[in-house]
Amino acid sequence: MSDNSLMKTLATYDRRWVYLVLFLVVVGPLLQPIGMPISVSPDTEQYYEAISSVEEGDKILFTLNTEFSGYNEIQSGIVATMRVFIEHNTKICVAVGHPEATGIPELVFKQLEEELDANGYVYGEDYVILGYVMPNEASVASMSQDFQGAITQDWLGRSIDDTFLSEINTWEDWDLIADFTTGLATTFLLNHFALRGTPMTVNCIGVMIASQKPYVDSGVYLAILQSMRGGAELEFLTGHPGPGLTAMDAFTFGHYMLLLFILAGNLGYYGYTKQQRGGR
Amino acid sequence: MAEILKNRQLQIAVMALAFLLVFVPYFIEVPALEAASTKLITITAIVNAVTLVLALQSQIRRGLNIVQRRQTGWYFKAYMIITMVLMVVFAFFGRETGPYHWVMYAIVNPLSSVNYGILAFYMASTAARAFRARNTQAMLLLTTGFIVLLYQAPLTGAYAPWLEPIALYFGDTFGMAAGRMFLISVTVGAIVFGVRVLMGKETSVLGVGKEEV
Amino acid sequence: MATPLFQVPLIAEGRFIGLILDILIFALVLYYTSGDKKIYIRRVAGLDAIEEAVGRAAEMGKPVVASYGLGGFTYWTLAGLSILSHVAGLSAKTGTRLIVPTGGSTSSLIVRPVAEEIVKTAYTMEGVPDQYNPDDLPFLSGQQYAYVGGYVGILQRTRPASVIMTGSHWSDAMNIAETSNAVGAITITSGAYISNVAALACASDYILIGEEAPAAGAYLSDDPSQRASIRVQDIFKWIALGCIILGLVLSNMGINIVENLLST
Repeated sequence: MSDNSLMKTLATYDRRWVYLVLFLVVVGPLLQPIGMPISVSPDTEQYYEAISSVEEGDKILFTLNTEFSGYNEIQSGIVATMRVFIEHNTKICVAVGHPEATGIPELVFKQLEEELDANGYVYGEDYVILGYVMPNEASVASMSQDFQGAITQDWLGRSIDDTFLSEINTWEDWDLIADFTTGLATTFLLNHFALRGTPMTVNCIGVMIASQKPYVDSGVYLAILQSMRGGAELEFLTGHPGPGLTAMDAFTFGHYMLLLFILAGNLGYYGYTKQQRGGR
Repeated sequence: MAEILKNRQLQIAVMALAFLLVFVPYFIEVPALEAASTKLITITAIVNAVTLVLALQSQIRRGLNIVQRRQTGWYFKAYMIITMVLMVVFAFFGRETGPYHWVMYAIVNPLSSVNYGILAFYMASTAARAFRARNTQAMLLLTTGFIVLLYQAPLTGAYAPWLEPIALYFGDTFGMAAGRMFLISVTVGAIVFGVRVLMGKETSVLGVGKEEV
Repeated sequence: MATPLFQVPLIAEGRFIGLILDILIFALVLYYTSGDKKIYIRRVAGLDAIEEAVGRAAEMGKPVVASYGLGGFTYWTLAGLSILSHVAGLSAKTGTRLIVPTGGSTSSLIVRPVAEEIVKTAYTMEGVPDQYNPDDLPFLSGQQYAYVGGYVGILQRTRPASVIMTGSHWSDAMNIAETSNAVGAITITSGAYISNVAALACASDYILIGEEAPAAGAYLSDDPSQRASIRVQDIFKWIALGCIILGLVLSNMGINIVENLLST
């Protein structure tokens, strides 16, 4: 039985090498973007079509069901989608489903200051931030059935009576729900809005895609935007490169690195481990 | 009064009534019932919001208890209480600008993100360690995973578009089937669990009394 | 697009079949929990892995770390608690130290007293109440990622022989499973969400997928209502399977009756 040191190394390398190499291949392209081409998936095209079909004056519930951690993954989709809504002069109501996300709307609008000015957006008339109003299912159900009873103020304590939200009473009054989620209140929105007929789109993190796709297939969701890659594709479609596209080089290298490690591990398995176990 | 409220049968009766008030209007369109149901849901939302205050009070009380007794890790609890009180003060007096924002963007954002980022490293090391073609099934899994992972890299999608229909096929058939299976199981499980709670079979949901242990 | 087959007066459109199915669930649960029915549930293979894991810890003189999940009183948490009870009983019997990190969400505060009572009762039933140490059930945090930090710290410091992570775990599951592997522990997890299953299947030595955890919980607890739940769910899965197969065959023949019936 030969003791090939290369095969042994491939079979028994320390996992910290994986961490180090992954760190290097991700940080490198982030610091020095290369600008590799990307393709646009059918799901993203469907999503872009869904969000572009909104009309001027449509009332959109823009829900951020994410902590800051998830925001870093889906921020490209959030900003790109918000840009489309602003360019279509829709009325946008931002609600969040996690206390950490109360800081996110400001980050998003800061990146879109130009678009807000160009389209003459005024807080209260065209967009409102409600803050953390979806802590649990009862709150979402209440918003769906009796919005005026559930919500009376925005996140700074100002009354919503003089805003466009005074026209919202039930789930029927919304033209679209755009949900950005790591899995918090999305099921509640699904139960109390989407299944009642309110059009809904979702931008979710990578691990949630498998659980959310059946809803697209069955027509409950209009479309799904898949994680950071979907956000990058949307930035490409809208013609506004941002953090998503910047990260795609690192994304690509990270995937290829992982594939190489899997191959290396299998080579090591067949070249060393299996032989050590007597071919079993 | 407290003894009456602790009565298990009364608790289950209230639960059943609340359930019927929400369940029935969903299926049977009676405007009066729908209005009552909506009001009940709004009341529930308000009560749930108040429980946040209760959670705050409970955490502070428990933390102070641990700090006073100098139990293991008491300094962490002291730190937690101080930061909790500070954030409440900042939220009341500096929400638009100032310390609340600083804490959110300079502390919460990086702390939250780093834990999430670590997941990527762990997933990478897990995949590198666990994906071994030990037998035929594992070989099939590895091949499928390889194709899907290759397609997920945006560069591959640009230069090897022939891979897209194959990768999407795996996701839209096998992946979708698994997703639907979980949906059906979880949904039915949740409904059955709810029925058990309504029937009073799940006493732990209503709180454990010493006499029941 | 599905078209409802008929409209029942007073019943909202598209909800009649849902109502029938809900009533059927009620009736079945009532039926299976009434009387003295003995409902058979096969022993889930994962239970052997759990017993092996605790035995390994006893031999090595190292602790077992077990958790029942984040979240409040859900279907999965109850399964996790049933398995925790079993693990606590085994640990008490073998004299193995059991550590149960608790917390992870705001609703975990409600479940924690139940978990404490379960572990304490298990030690009392085995006749070793003095071995129960309340400090071995630390409340780490009401926030998921802080809970993960504490959990991983416990694993790194105590170097357990086995980590048994059942119930509903969210994105913390991956962190914990991989750290558990790194410290050389046997890792047994349950995948309550499809988002987790793929990663946990790679990271764990043994995984209870989907409803294997509630089934294991029902088997261990011998609670008639839990067993009834599993039976009712099985019946509904057969109904779903029947609808899928029938719908598939008929829709390929151009007959959409199953789809239309389910939309009624």
